Amino acid sequence: MEEYVISLEGIKGLLENLTREGFNIYAPSKNNDRFVKVKDIDEVALFPDRRPTDISAKECLFPKCEPVFYYKREKNNVEIVDIDPNGNKVLFGLKPCDAASFTIIHKVFNWDYKDKFYNKRFDNSLIIGLACTYLDDYCFCTSVGLSPVSTVGSDILLVRLSDVSFGVIVITDKGGQLVKRYPQLFEKGEPTKSKQVLDSIGGPARKFDHKKVKEWLDNNFETDFFNSIGDICVGCGQCTFVCPTCHCFDIVDEDYLYSEGRRMKNWDGCQFYLFTLHASGHNPRDTQYKRYRQRVNHKFKYYVDRFQEVLCTGCGRCSRGCPVSIDIGDIVSRISKLS
Amino acid sequence: MENIYKPYLMEIKEIIDETPDTRTLRLQFKSEEDKKRFSFKAGQFAEYSVFGEGECTFCIASPPTRMDFIECSFKQVGKVTNALRRLNVGDTVGFRGPYGNWFPVEEMRGKNIVFIAGGIGLAPVRSVILNVLDRRKEFRDITIIYGARTVSDLVYKRELEEWQSRNDIRTVVTVDPGGETPDWKGEIGFVPTIVERISPKGENAVSIICGPPIMIKFTLPIMMKLGFKEDNIITTLENRMKCGLGKCGRCNIGNIYVCKDGPVFSYSQLKGLPQEY
Repeated sequence: MEEYVISLEGIKGLLENLTREGFNIYAPSKNNDRFVKVKDIDEVALFPDRRPTDISAKECLFPKCEPVFYYKREKNNVEIVDIDPNGNKVLFGLKPCDAASFTIIHKVFNWDYKDKFYNKRFDNSLIIGLACTYLDDYCFCTSVGLSPVSTVGSDILLVRLSDVSFGVIVITDKGGQLVKRYPQLFEKGEPTKSKQVLDSIGGPARKFDHKKVKEWLDNNFETDFFNSIGDICVGCGQCTFVCPTCHCFDIVDEDYLYSEGRRMKNWDGCQFYLFTLHASGHNPRDTQYKRYRQRVNHKFKYYVDRFQEVLCTGCGRCSRGCPVSIDIGDIVSRISKLS
Repeated sequence: MENIYKPYLMEIKEIIDETPDTRTLRLQFKSEEDKKRFSFKAGQFAEYSVFGEGECTFCIASPPTRMDFIECSFKQVGKVTNALRRLNVGDTVGFRGPYGNWFPVEEMRGKNIVFIAGGIGLAPVRSVILNVLDRRKEFRDITIIYGARTVSDLVYKRELEEWQSRNDIRTVVTVDPGGETPDWKGEIGFVPTIVERISPKGENAVSIICGPPIMIKFTLPIMMKLGFKEDNIITTLENRMKCGLGKCGRCNIGNIYVCKDGPVFSYSQLKGLPQEY
């Protein structure tokens, strides 16, 4: 892996150049709630110690609501107008727990049938990660195979060396080409310096073995374990909406004129009663504990069975935002001790 | 890259009312190119849509040996099925598919086949029955046992009559006790009871069972008693689906996706699944 050093001014210059190339820059918003399109590059801040945005960067490539085609009805006929997502994006300043999410959900969107909406956006994006020094009680990235300095998912990873200079670790070809395009902005760096900083970051205090979680889930589907959680959970589904790896969606039609409309792909969540309700009235996951069991199993067992990846990056958003303080990190670390 | 959410456009060529609330649509591809490109196997399903209302999931009820039309049968229960019922001959619907796995028709060659269906559960079975009848010589004895709650709930009545008049297959139609009309000439009794009375032999035989869960539950022990192997009892599962492509995340039972690993399962596979369907 090649290493460089870039100054704070250099980063601004880089983003300006990329904007000129036609990229839209997406970075955490001022109030840190989500990733937004940057209008003024001077406003982009690089704080490795700020907490993850409320909503993950997932929505840059997999938006909350998106049309998959337009339709027009005319007497008996229907005309379909296909859509292609366009535009190049730079996702800037992603924490490793956000960057890694794309590597994980990439698999489900490419499993047999390829979802062009996700894929085109992914192919046209450049992901610039930032090694993270924010660690709180909810973080558990090191327990799911990642770390605050993980390079998974980033094209280049920035490491804060001082207030004005950042180490640059090149991870993918896309990242390498970027450095080659703007050689004047990057200085050849000493590999040891970033490493020293990286080593000093350490990891979150919460630590468990995700393999042990799976081991227990493998043998315990019918269990009382989730009953008490089901009693507490209000089923609001915020955990699924802020999550960087939750990828469930609904498909619905929206008419916006008498004869015209669009078919939408909207985020959906396994915590909702309607999610699995049959037309007959039967519901396989009719109570909250079953829906919570589904969420934990999907993340730590089903996805691992199918794609050999844990469907979780340990960002802790689900717990930080839960209105009734259900802490999934605590739940799975308790499970890991049961097996 | 293709848009996997974009449906084919189909024209409604014929509407057949099966029962007061169940209807069959006969659909034809609007584009010759789509028609040529399309192929499927018995047991696969599709997403049918009314533009402006949304999509819903049914099996393809016609066999792959009759490709002029695609047929689907549905009961009027929800938003989209109500909208489908409002459509007339000549109207356009969306059709996305085929998805999922299929009945092992090739492995059934040279074997006796027992079809058991209840209510609208005959729709997926009909696809195989017609497929097998179109290739009658490749299979040995064929028995069809079909039941519904009342006489008026029997679907595909014209075909049931045709099957009953054939002498190279055995067709038994039954209605639940109390569901008969004064002039009903078929059997009276629940499907499991009739299966037990007819006692098809399990040796060198495959059974395809579709219907309400309660019917399947009581039929399975009888099949075991008759000597059918667990691998040779085949059924279909249903769950709410949106994408049909293994992505939208709702049709799973444990770690299997009904839309990708199903909807066709053998009894031995079924036994390995968690009780969440």
